Amino acid sequence: MDLLLQFQHILQSDPLIDEVGFVHPTQFATLTEDSTGDAAISDGTTFWCRDHKLGVSTQAVLPLYNAAKRAFIAAMEEYKRLGDDGLESEVMKHSKALLLLSSDFGTAWNSRKLVVSKKQQLSMYMGELLLSALVLSCSPKSDQAWSHRRWVIKSITGKCSALQEILGKESELVEKIAERSKMNYRAWNHRCWLVSYMTREQVMHELKKSRNWAGLHVADNCCFHYRRRLMLQILKDSTCKLENASPGYSVEVSEVWKEELDWNEMLINRYIGREALWLHRRFLSLCWMKQFATNLHDVSCHSDLKISTSDSFNSFIDNELHLLNSCSTILDNDFEDFQAQATYSATYILWLTKQIPEFWSEFQEKLTIGNLKTMLSKVCPERSFLWDSLID
Amino acid sequence: MGGLAAEKHIQYILTVEKRKDDFVSVVMEHLRMSGAYWGLTTLDLLEKLDTVDVDEVVSWVMNCQHESGGFGGNIGHDPHILYTLSAVQVLALFDKLNVLDIDKVTNYVAGLQNGDGSFSGDIWGEVDTRFSYIAICCLSILRCLNKINVEKAVSYIISCKNLDGGFGCTPGGESHAGQIFCCVAALSLTGSLHHIDKDLLGWWLCERQVKSGGLNGRPEKLPDVCYSWWVLSSLIMIDRVHWINKEKLVKYILDCQDLENGGISDRPDDAVDVYHTYFGVAGLSLLEYPGLKAIDPAYALPVNVVNRIFFGR
Repeated sequence: MDLLLQFQHILQSDPLIDEVGFVHPTQFATLTEDSTGDAAISDGTTFWCRDHKLGVSTQAVLPLYNAAKRAFIAAMEEYKRLGDDGLESEVMKHSKALLLLSSDFGTAWNSRKLVVSKKQQLSMYMGELLLSALVLSCSPKSDQAWSHRRWVIKSITGKCSALQEILGKESELVEKIAERSKMNYRAWNHRCWLVSYMTREQVMHELKKSRNWAGLHVADNCCFHYRRRLMLQILKDSTCKLENASPGYSVEVSEVWKEELDWNEMLINRYIGREALWLHRRFLSLCWMKQFATNLHDVSCHSDLKISTSDSFNSFIDNELHLLNSCSTILDNDFEDFQAQATYSATYILWLTKQIPEFWSEFQEKLTIGNLKTMLSKVCPERSFLWDSLID
Repeated sequence: MGGLAAEKHIQYILTVEKRKDDFVSVVMEHLRMSGAYWGLTTLDLLEKLDTVDVDEVVSWVMNCQHESGGFGGNIGHDPHILYTLSAVQVLALFDKLNVLDIDKVTNYVAGLQNGDGSFSGDIWGEVDTRFSYIAICCLSILRCLNKINVEKAVSYIISCKNLDGGFGCTPGGESHAGQIFCCVAALSLTGSLHHIDKDLLGWWLCERQVKSGGLNGRPEKLPDVCYSWWVLSSLIMIDRVHWINKEKLVKYILDCQDLENGGISDRPDDAVDVYHTYFGVAGLSLLEYPGLKAIDPAYALPVNVVNRIFFGR
């Protein structure tokens, strides 16, 4: 049987296939041996399918791609020439095969957008989310596949009552893919993009839900950035809609920050020398000082958000200096992580003093600045160019 | 330490262009226009552009243009702003911008600007600060910046700035060195660099240099030769390049060469490709490595090409 027909036949006969992968011929033999029983579809050399997982031999990929491309281009030309509805299914079938083999073939994604937007049926839009998820199962970084999802969401916004539910599922999909594809910028960028469509309750829920994952992936800056995105959204909502919010809301927002600061400090002490944790702390502290601490002159936000306890600023500084001291002791010179921890803690303090000049004078009283430069030059001599420029 | 294997890289680029049948070259065919830009700019930086048949390239480029004025990544592929800039850059390299219907191309690009000042990549509406840079760069090369609302374009880019000083794809997106290049270059080309806190952004950028001397594109990532371009050009544009160790970066890029068959890879001992070969050579050019033409950090074209566009010969 023709290779492309065989491929498309398998895809059609099991519409629940949720994962496609490419398998080397040597692995193929073991796969076929292992799959005893009747559930597996396999011809022994090219395709293998069981439990809705489809494996394609890497040897077949090139001829299959060429056949799919030829079929797609022919179908698209006919469709454009005749404008015949009957040809839509051909375009959809061949573009699907092609995209599973070459996920960033933009013209094939576009052909699907063209067909679906002509039909304007919700079920077809949902079908696009399924296909894109299938493509992402084998190409988790495909820019085009992620972009296609955003196109679907933008297209159905206002037309579909289940939008909030769909957003929740999108968020779960990103987490599932991020588990297998670490620090996947495209995936997390998609999740950040979703935030502007979320309700306040959803944002709070996402913040709660993503905490566990972040704690298990402390080197993944993407997830911490996602939390920053959520927290800024909460802050923005609280400053814009303060009149409408419940009286306890501003307290609730500062609680969110306080909790995150404490949790981050716990992680910093547990996982030594992780850059993403320290960068997250820069963000948390900067916002905390600007938004909630009372001593600052910057009143860019609503004054109701300021914490009334007058000593919050000083106790904050004391806490951060305590953290610096505990992290700058290099317990073991041979262990790089301790050195990294010392560098990150010192740069963290230096960074804050540059961002919040008020912090500088308070800080100078408690620790001589010369110490910081000596320390940075010692633990991180490779960035001496930076220290020389910043600390004079 | 050996130097730059220039001859080998030239041979590598010329052979890769002719290779059309293996899977790697086949899955790249939808972005061949960008591939052409990477390969040809590398040849030009190495002073070997004259080995290429100009007419053949120009006629292929023009065959990728659509009625809309935009260019596809290859013949028969849909137009996109990404490939439109690559096409314009390739023509600029050969001093062939005169074959273009300037109005047609610039109307296509200007037509992609949205109400909030952002740019879509094509008619399907994906928005990204990459497209803002591309639009501004393309229109600037063709001297038609007046066709868009520059003020709004700038304010959209600013709205994508993060508290760490970097920029993302859309407002609230994570900082990424590639996006930062796009935003900084777009601001540079529109005379809007004053919107940037140079110390803050410079700090984030120079923290991309890891122990091996190479640069990564985001925190906790491995170094990659392509960031020699994205990070370095940004640092130059904001005048903070003295914050990194240049000697170590030169060494890192040279360590990523395939000395036998030519080409440069992302990390030492990985497989080479045209993309990394271009960014490695372009990075070395920014580092003023001997024997290479100077490259402009915002236009990503050799300085002599930029001068030719704006000041005549």
